Parts: sequence; C-alpha cells; structure tokens
Amino acid sequence: MFIKDILSISPQDTYNNHNYWYNVKTYIGNKLSCIEPSYDGIIKPSQLRRMGKALRMGIGCGLPLLDKHGKVDGIIIGTSEGGLEDCIKFLNQIVDYDEGTLTPTNFMQSTPNALSGHLALITGNTNYNITHVNKGLSFENALIDAQMLLQDGSANVLLVGSVEEISDYNYNIEQSANQYKKVECRSNELIHSNTEGTVCGEGAVMFVLSSQPENGSICIKDVDAITFPEESELLDLCKNMLRRNGIVTNDIDGVIVGLNGDIRTDHWYTNFISSLFSDQTIYTYKNLVGEYPTSASFAVKLAHDILKNNMICPEIIFKNSNRAQKNILIYNHFKGVQHSLILISDINSSNESL
Amino acid sequence: MNKEILKQELKAHLVSYLNILEYKPEEIADDMPLFGTGLELDSIDSLELIVMLEREYGLKITNPADGRKILVNIESMADFIIANKK
Amino acid sequence: MEVFITGMGCVTPIGNNKHENLTSLTESKSGLKKPAIFQSKYASDFIFGEVDMDNTALLSLVDINGLTGLTRTDLLALMAFDEAINDAGLSREEVSSNKTAFISASTVGGMCLTNQLYDDSNLKSNTTEFLESYSGSAHAQQICKKYRIKGLVNVINTACSSSANAIAYGTRLIKAGRATRAVVGGVDSLSKYTVNGFNSLQILSNDKCTPFDENRKGLNLGEAAGYLVLEAANVVAKKNCYAKVAGYGNSNDAFHPSSMSDHAKGITIAINKALEAANISSADIDYINAHGTGTQNNDLIELTGFKTIFETIPPFSSTKSYIGHTLGAAGAVEAIYSVFSLIEGDFYPNLNFNTPIGDLNVLPITEVVHKKNVRYVMSNSYGFSGNCTSLIFEKA
Repeated sequence: MFIKDILSISPQDTYNNHNYWYNVKTYIGNKLSCIEPSYDGIIKPSQLRRMGKALRMGIGCGLPLLDKHGKVDGIIIGTSEGGLEDCIKFLNQIVDYDEGTLTPTNFMQSTPNALSGHLALITGNTNYNITHVNKGLSFENALIDAQMLLQDGSANVLLVGSVEEISDYNYNIEQSANQYKKVECRSNELIHSNTEGTVCGEGAVMFVLSSQPENGSICIKDVDAITFPEESELLDLCKNMLRRNGIVTNDIDGVIVGLNGDIRTDHWYTNFISSLFSDQTIYTYKNLVGEYPTSASFAVKLAHDILKNNMICPEIIFKNSNRAQKNILIYNHFKGVQHSLILISDINSSNESL
Repeated sequence: MNKEILKQELKAHLVSYLNILEYKPEEIADDMPLFGTGLELDSIDSLELIVMLEREYGLKITNPADGRKILVNIESMADFIIANKK
Repeated sequence: MEVFITGMGCVTPIGNNKHENLTSLTESKSGLKKPAIFQSKYASDFIFGEVDMDNTALLSLVDINGLTGLTRTDLLALMAFDEAINDAGLSREEVSSNKTAFISASTVGGMCLTNQLYDDSNLKSNTTEFLESYSGSAHAQQICKKYRIKGLVNVINTACSSSANAIAYGTRLIKAGRATRAVVGGVDSLSKYTVNGFNSLQILSNDKCTPFDENRKGLNLGEAAGYLVLEAANVVAKKNCYAKVAGYGNSNDAFHPSSMSDHAKGITIAINKALEAANISSADIDYINAHGTGTQNNDLIELTGFKTIFETIPPFSSTKSYIGHTLGAAGAVEAIYSVFSLIEGDFYPNLNFNTPIGDLNVLPITEVVHKKNVRYVMSNSYGFSGNCTSLIFEKA
C-alpha cells in the first residue's frame, strides 16, 4: 500500500512546518506535549467545545485529509487508550459525587472509537469504520487491517491513523509503575541517558493510504508483530518478513528503532541491530516525540520523510552509513512485551512494482 | 435571591459546564434560545444542564418533559430556580 | 478459503459454560436480576445480567499459572478462552503457533476496578498490583502470557459491536493467509464506569429489558465472555465443525454519537454488505439474532432496517432478554447463540415481549421456533459512535 498523504500533530512542529527537522525542539523533563495548531476553520466551535485533546488532534489531522482526498473507502484508527482525560474526568465524577447525577459528555468522548466515529459523522462517511486498541500494537493492527482491505480489492483509498494523549490518568499510573525517569532528562540526551525509565510522549498521525502508486509514492510493504517473544523469535520474525518480500538483510538501507533511553529494555534494539543490521544507517525517533503506545506511526512518517523528502536531520542519526536510502525497516517494542516490524520502500529507486 | 445576579451566575455556569467557545457569559442574552436557534445546543447539552442545576442549585429534574419547559433560555431557568429553591 | 468455527466457550449470566448456556436458552431461562456481587449505588435500582460467581469462585476455576493483577474481566476472559480452545481440541503448540491469531474485544477492560483505578490515577494508592490491568487490552496480554501466543494479537473497540468486528477481523486474517487459525471474541464485566455512563444517558431500565416492545424502558447491562475458534478449511481435517463464517459487513451510521439515524442507514449497509460477502439474498436468512437492546432508539431503528431489507422479515429475537447487554462481549456471545440456532434448529424466543412498536406491526418470536435445515443465521451488533456490524453464519 502506498502513502498518498500525511498530516500529523506531535511534540515537533509537524503540522504547520513541512521541514520541521531543521528546527528540532528539545524538551526538558518527562512530558513531551504536542504543539497543537489553532483549529479555527478546521473544527466547528460547537464540536470543538466537547473534544478532549486526543479527539481534537485526531480530527485536526484527519478532517483536512478527508476534505482534500474526497470520500475514502474506510476509516481505521489505532489508539491504545483514546480520550483518557475524559475518562479520568468521568471516573473522578463517579467517586467524587458518589455515583450521583453525572454528565454524559466525558463518558461519550472517552470511548476509544469516538475518533473514528466523529470522522465518519462529520464527513458523512458510512464505509468501513473500526478502532484497534491493542496497546503497543494498535497502530500496527490498523495497518494490517488496511493492507488486507487494499489487497483483496474491498478498498482503494483509506484513512488510517493513530492518536494518543498524555493525561494525568496514564501519566500517574505509568509513573507509579516506574515507566518514566526519576532524574531529569533533556530529550536530546534521552537515547544515551543510560538510566532507568523513559519520557512520556503523545501525538496524532493520519495517513491516506492507496492501493495504487503515484509519482514518488512511498510503499508500506509489510507489517508484522509478536507478543512476549524470545530474542530468537524476534529475529525469525524479521527474517521471515524479509524473505516473503523477496529481500535479504543487506537490501535494508536504514533501520528506525524505538530506542527510548530505558536501560532495562533498550538491549532489544541494540541486540537486534548488532545481530542483523550492522552496516545500515540506524535512526531513532523517541528523542523527538517521546514514548507512547502508538508511536510507531510517527516512525512511519519519519521513514516517509527520509525517503521522499530527503529529510536530513542529525538528531535522528544513531549510527550513520553512506548507503542511499530506499528500504527502511522500523523495529519498535512497547515495554519489551509487544514488538513490531514495518517495512517501507521507495519504489522509485527500485524498478519493482508492488 | 436577586434575579439579575442569578442570571449572571447562570450564564457563567452555562459557558463553563458546556465549554462554550463562541460566547462569553456577558454576550448571552436573557432571552436567547438555548435549543434550536440561538446557542444551538443539543440533547446531550440538556443532560449536562440538568446536572448543572442539581450540582449548583440542588434542584432535580426527573421528567425530561419538564426539562424542555425549564431549559428554554436563561430567563426561564432563573424563574425555575427562584420558584423552587428553598 | 472457507473459515470454520470449530470451538466455542462462554461464561454469561445464564451459564458458566457453553452447555449451560444452551440449556438455559432452550428452557427460556433468563439471567436478569438484581445483582448479588456487583457493588454500586445503582445495584438496587436497576436490573443487571450478572455472572453467578464472585471473583473468588472464578479464581478457583481458572488456572492462573502465576499471572498477577487479574481483574474480573481477565478472569471471565480466561475461562471462556480456555473452554473454546479445549472445545476445538487445540494443542498448546497449536495455540501458540505463530499462525494462530488471537483477536479479542473489550470496552470496559480493567476499569471494572473503578475505585482502585481512581486511587491509582490520582496517586492515592498503596498497592502497585493493578497498574498494568486497566487497559481494554490488558486481558489479552494476560491470555498471551498464559498461553504463550506468538501469532498476531489484536483487540478491537467499536463499543457494543467490538467482538462482532473481532470475529470478522479473525476471519479476514485467515482468508488473507496471515493466519490459519484464530481465537476470536470478547469480554466485559459489570463496572461502575459503564453503569454511571449509561445512566447519565438515561437508557438503563429498572425492569427486565423488553426488546422490541412498545413500552420498552431501556437496557440492562450485563457481563460475559465469549470466544470462538476459527480454522481455515485446509487445517480443519476431520474435525467436528459447528458452522462457517459466511459473511460480515461493517458500516458507520454517520449520524449521532449515541443514537441511530431514522432511516437506519448504517444498519442496512452493514446487512447488505454481509449478504453480499456471503453471496446470498436476504430471503436466504432463516433467523436473525438481533441487536435488540431495549432502548427506544435502537429497537425502532433496527426494525426500520429490517423492513427496508427484507421482503418478509425472518423470525428474529434479541437474546439480550436473557443476559442483558454485555457490551464488548455481546457480538461474540450472540454469535455463539446464533451457532446454537444453526446446530439445534431452534430459534430462542424474545422474552418479556407484549406489545408491538407503534404501527410497525413487526413482532419478534415469543415461543421456541424449531426449523429443519436451518442454513443461514444473521447476528447484528451496533455500537456508540455509529459502528454497525452484521455477521452471517452458515451450517457447516
């Protein structure tokens, strides 16, 4: 499947500035919050007033794409938690008012499928509509879903995306579970911080994916995932994926890894690289957007920007090589439990048709 | 209870409970319709306003049909509060 | 590639396993009542569908194998999952093969621990046991851990149609060759979160729900877990197959976050897509296990959809009159009940029905209907945010 268009809101200035990499923003501390645009002219005030951050970021990215590309054959969202802030607001009301009369808005907006539903509702789209919520594999399942629909001919163009928000709810819970750093860390030093814990990020990325290539189209060739693997099972997953796409490890030019500065789980990445990809350019991205369950969507955007827009950005280089970039593999895991691989190619630099 | 002060207070609650973005409290007229035209609120908003009346004024509306008569505009809400508040 | 159902497991308010559920349906025995275990201010105000075992009883039945942080949602899921894979005769190796997918669904997840979650999220807790337990996907991770599942894993949340979409997604993974087997289904347990949420929308009934009745007062929330084992035709061999997944259709009503459009747009599109995928006409449907929640809006619009699609509406009923609305589990449990109808040739009556709605003059079945050679059964699931899904099961 081919990437026709992308719009994203992230802790970097990705929404308004298409060359955001010339001005990478550095964060101090454990929260990398999104640079949100003004939603004037994108979302009606009567709708915006009820939307939590996840919902408005998702709509803010999805709606302009739907306006621009016309009716899509389906809307597929991956989000681990959806509108968490609304969730905790409703939860707090239940306890604080002892199950008294409660307001329904927070309840309605907290359901993870609110985003796909609102996008359908606002654009009057009655086609395929679904929300995948398997934590660190939510976005990957959205891609697999899309790939099946595009391959079996039941769709030609789809809106596929992800959203996650930082809320007190997940931040407090994850902090109690020692997910985040106890010592202050600057985001530009995150990858080499050499301490326990990572930093919390958030973001929305929406893609228009098509079964047909266009000029300069970037292709998402394959997606796979595994839960609670042994290291050897992960390497097998990777080799199998390359094999079924008719390539070998040496055909991969760059690997985007999810290094997040947590010494307890970063060995997955370093072992993966040293086992299979010692000559490739290695990129990181969580120093730009932080850790969150659907962060792989940002890595896909990054791969697209590297391949299509010749993005040159020293901040994302973990290890350089002189290889021209045409095949990029993304390897990410969430908490060392859910692992995923996404293979992305620039079809203009090879003569294959995919 | 001073009705004018009550109406100012109601407008502030309305804006805050419903997170109204287009109007400041002082821009809402006493006779501006809440539903249909005017503020163009919907059925979910009416449930929110019923919660507001209970939390802020201790008044319960149990019958939705009563709600439609009370939640017409700021004036009608103020009348309801004055008539029922002990 | 045809996809067969070879195993089923469920725990619901009318039975702790598949067999007990079938018996209760056959005897028209409802599980709706005032709850004995669920704690909430509203426990005495409304009627619920509660699984008849407290967490201690569930723990004694489930081999937890070292798992920690288990919630009621997790325990219900573990029980039904175990029954399904045993029913299909899957070996542990087959369950953990990388060609076996696991597709689950939940809307409440670990939020059944409402007060613990309040404490944890507001930094007021003195325990760390449940920090990983709250997500809608937490139960799936517990199952992955216990059964060493290495194939594709997913969890779907399209509100009350979640597990119907899990069944469709698992079927598609097999058809696309990404899996040869898939365990599919969903789970939800009673929680203050949903009770207060549905109550804030004023759609809970203080009597047993009366789907499709003129005087219906709303829905009863229920809890359940249901899983089905799907296998590709080429690995089924000589196994006993209950049914085939013949078709599935997904649409969004694109009308309102919590109510359905007057013309039943999403409902009719989903049904038509499912018919098309099964390559049959509406006249081929022998019975419909309807969504039928018992709310004013749903039942009227669902019948409007039936009138649009079917020249003669086939026998239909809502089995929510037995177990209530089990949200993320509803699609899976009702799929199992639909398969019962296929195998047994019995259509289970809609309980508590008295008066048809307005001038629609459309009546659900109120007695057990027995039919020979039942071939196609349809199951409908509709959720908040406009999500509509219809599934069609075919006699194997």
